[in-house]
Amino acid sequence: MSNDADRPVCLEAKGVWKVFGAKTDAAIQMSNAGSTRAEVLKATGCTIGVKDVSLQVQRGETFVVMGLSGSGKSTLVRCIAQLTDSTLGNVLLDGEDLTAMDSSSLREVRRQKLSMVFQHFGLFPHRTVIDNAAYGLEVQKVPKSQRLERARDVLSEVGLQGYELHYPGQLSGGMQQRVGLARALTVDPEILFFDEPFSALDPLIRRDMQDQLLDLQQRLQRTIVFITHDFAEAIKLGDRIAIMKDGVFDQVGTASELITEPATDYVREFTEDIPKTKVLTAADVMSAPTDTAMSGTVHASDTIESLLPVLLKHGEPVGVVDASGQTVGIVNRAAVADLLAGAQ
Amino acid sequence: MTATVPTITPSVDSHTLRRWGPLAGLAAGAVVLQVVFGASENFPARWDTTFAAPIDDAGNWLRANRQTHPVFTGFFTPLRTVVDAIINAFTDILLWLPWYAVLALAAAVPARVRMYRAAATIVGALLYTGLIGFWEETMQTLALMSTAVFLAVLIGLPLGVIAAFRPGFEAALRPVLDVMQTVPAFIYFLPLFMLFSIGNVPGTVATLIYALPPVVRLTTLGIQSVPESAVQASEMYGATPRQTLFKVQLPMAIPSIITGLSQTIMMALGVVVLATLVGAKGLGSPVLQSLNQRRTGRGIAAGLAIMAVAMVLDRMWKSAAERDPLKRHDRRTLLGVLGAILVAITIGRFASVDTFPEVADWTLFDPVDDGVVWIRDNLRWVTRTFNDTLVTYAFLPARDLLSTTLAWPVVVFVTGWACWRVKGLGFAAFSAASLLFIGLIGLWDEAISTLVSVLIASALALAIAIPVGIWAGRRPKVEAFISPILDGLQTIPSLVYIIPVVIFFTVGVVPGIVATILYAMVPGVRITALGIKEVSTESLEASRTFGATPRQTLLGVRIPLAAPTIMAGVNQVIMMSLAMVIIAGLVGGGGLGFQTVVVLKDSEFGLGFEVGAALVLMAMILDRFTEAAADKMQPHRSAT
Repeated sequence: MSNDADRPVCLEAKGVWKVFGAKTDAAIQMSNAGSTRAEVLKATGCTIGVKDVSLQVQRGETFVVMGLSGSGKSTLVRCIAQLTDSTLGNVLLDGEDLTAMDSSSLREVRRQKLSMVFQHFGLFPHRTVIDNAAYGLEVQKVPKSQRLERARDVLSEVGLQGYELHYPGQLSGGMQQRVGLARALTVDPEILFFDEPFSALDPLIRRDMQDQLLDLQQRLQRTIVFITHDFAEAIKLGDRIAIMKDGVFDQVGTASELITEPATDYVREFTEDIPKTKVLTAADVMSAPTDTAMSGTVHASDTIESLLPVLLKHGEPVGVVDASGQTVGIVNRAAVADLLAGAQ
Repeated sequence: MTATVPTITPSVDSHTLRRWGPLAGLAAGAVVLQVVFGASENFPARWDTTFAAPIDDAGNWLRANRQTHPVFTGFFTPLRTVVDAIINAFTDILLWLPWYAVLALAAAVPARVRMYRAAATIVGALLYTGLIGFWEETMQTLALMSTAVFLAVLIGLPLGVIAAFRPGFEAALRPVLDVMQTVPAFIYFLPLFMLFSIGNVPGTVATLIYALPPVVRLTTLGIQSVPESAVQASEMYGATPRQTLFKVQLPMAIPSIITGLSQTIMMALGVVVLATLVGAKGLGSPVLQSLNQRRTGRGIAAGLAIMAVAMVLDRMWKSAAERDPLKRHDRRTLLGVLGAILVAITIGRFASVDTFPEVADWTLFDPVDDGVVWIRDNLRWVTRTFNDTLVTYAFLPARDLLSTTLAWPVVVFVTGWACWRVKGLGFAAFSAASLLFIGLIGLWDEAISTLVSVLIASALALAIAIPVGIWAGRRPKVEAFISPILDGLQTIPSLVYIIPVVIFFTVGVVPGIVATILYAMVPGVRITALGIKEVSTESLEASRTFGATPRQTLLGVRIPLAAPTIMAGVNQVIMMSLAMVIIAGLVGGGGLGFQTVVVLKDSEFGLGFEVGAALVLMAMILDRFTEAAADKMQPHRSAT
């Protein structure tokens, strides 16, 4: 994962609303006037799923939407992927408005650019693993030998070689989701949507799958929109994380931003249980370089955890260098101690 | 229960009124009506508006114009020709093939996917039919059934698909399917007979009508129960709605459709026997023949052959649906086997060893008759007592009470009242109007007689079915033991076991009732056992934790929790009893069943329509009544 801030925006949502019910106009009006979801529901019978959400995802970025159940995160990703129509707002993909498209152009965009991995896998139980993986190419009418070859390659990439002729029902949950992942990758999509893909899996298998996804992303550099209810997962995978509550984003930022400057108490509650030393980096604690002799150097992206032994062994201050080797700051023990104490 | 402010009311508080008011109203209304109308005779004959005449005219018109009118020359006759041609071609092929080739080809369907047990069953079943001398009839029935099933899929699948995507269409279709399934097959035989004339076709179409509703329903259900994520996944990869339908939704609905079909095949085989009455060829005629000759053994021989056809079709369907390529034999083996069969066919055709060797025939089962006669002669005191008791103390008093003692308005009023209590005013109005209609077409006495025997048969069937079901539900071994017996009772055409029943009890009301009990108790036992088994182990464990005895657990937890399911069983039992009315009519059951037999013998179109309408209306009242009663027993509804 890299953190380049100036990559081009590839997916953009502008003022997306999703209101369930009949009187959507009235509900939106009330909501804009400051009524809560419960008040709107009582007055209009409408449920506000997503309230005026805007976001921009850069090419190659992993954008995580994290929220608890009922926060609207699944509805949001379905609006963006156009599986449900949003009540208001636009979704732009490479500058093209998906919300304005007719169904056949949308289908074309999906075939070319989009893919999705589902929470309950959404596999086709009547098709073999390889036919599941090749489904996206099959609906594009790619010749059989060609699509099976491609599917076979992707299956071995996710560690499923030898299982091509099995049926999903014969596989464990983790392997089934690998099929889901392979199916999404076979079409070589520009954007991958993940709707809580690992939440149905056991903790150990979940960690494996997360590692595999990181590994794949390192090589493939796709644009990913990832939905999860697990804050640790969000931090592990996300370049940027949006915390969603009651249909709106409470805060959008990198993991360190969320931890060091939580915008609301709600965000703070999530960050409290996270071991800071594993998330925060030298860049978060450094101060401006001084003339004092430095007793060692660390990279700006090193975590505090890996920084501590250096600090304890070599004495302070420790120099911080960026990717090009340029010194950008120093770290001393007091700053680290302050941060850890303050964060608790 | 919420606390209410105590009010002091001296005599009648609102609770008492709510509770006893309707009952008081019932009693008062009944007494008044009885006093006013009690002196007059039965349903007034002068009201008898017979609808028969115009319908008879229509029937005559049909008969006269069958050769000439465009409706026939342009639609029914070609349709009949096509269906007939399919059946005949199919029969011809099956009979042209040497018998062992039919065996091999049928067995190859399951063997292809390594379902060897099913293949062995098919071989055994077909061998039986050949050995007993029914090869030709079996092939005819097989062809008729396959054609009906094929047509049911051809028509039912698209209807089911449309219904799955268009709720309006489904809502419009549902009552039609309900009627198709509720109405006994015999009723629509007559119009079909008029439209298609004698032969294979009315029987096929009747089977088709029977098989269509489950195909449509289960297609819709199968498509609708495809997980949303699978459909969304398909959509997400850019599949067109058509691609999603054919690649995802329909294939995923196939297991559900197959289940529906194999259920239907079993039930539709009962129609085969009836189809013989309107000229279809096949295994039905030996069954009818043995009924006429009172030969139990031969009836069983032919009945078993029908069961064999059911098994063959069932196994072939199920294995055809198996799509796992890992289980499939490779193409070379298949081609090899197919080649061998072809060679065998050629040799067989040249050497003329194509007909099944005449090893034995159905007289093989004649010793059974001696047993039946022995039982009849030695257990006469039992059957006689049972017969007399049932007639003197149950059937006659009940029939007389309803048709003579009580004035007809009382019967209508009480029925309406009960329907109102259980479901509401709309249903009450429907029931009362239906009864009035039955009276107006002059079938009041017949309907009462039928109703009484249906209710007696249902009550006795339930008296057996519920305890047996409870027993089977708690003891898997018992269930394993009775399950094949139940299968047999349901699959063997009821006309087969009516033969010994008639021999025991001679002709009259009772053999019909006994045969009905045998047939109708099957779903009662099944559903009761299911309800008892479905009670959650957690509830049972909770009961045991508190130190309840097995008896307390059974009476306090198991049965109450299973009650709604058992009530659904009651519904099934009553509907099955009604379906047997006509069969009972064949052996002197009287009532509407007897009328049907008359109708079919003399092709009285108008009377046939009236009898059919009366039966349909009774079926609808009984069905909805028991359904609503079962609904009321659901725990979440019972809180008022």
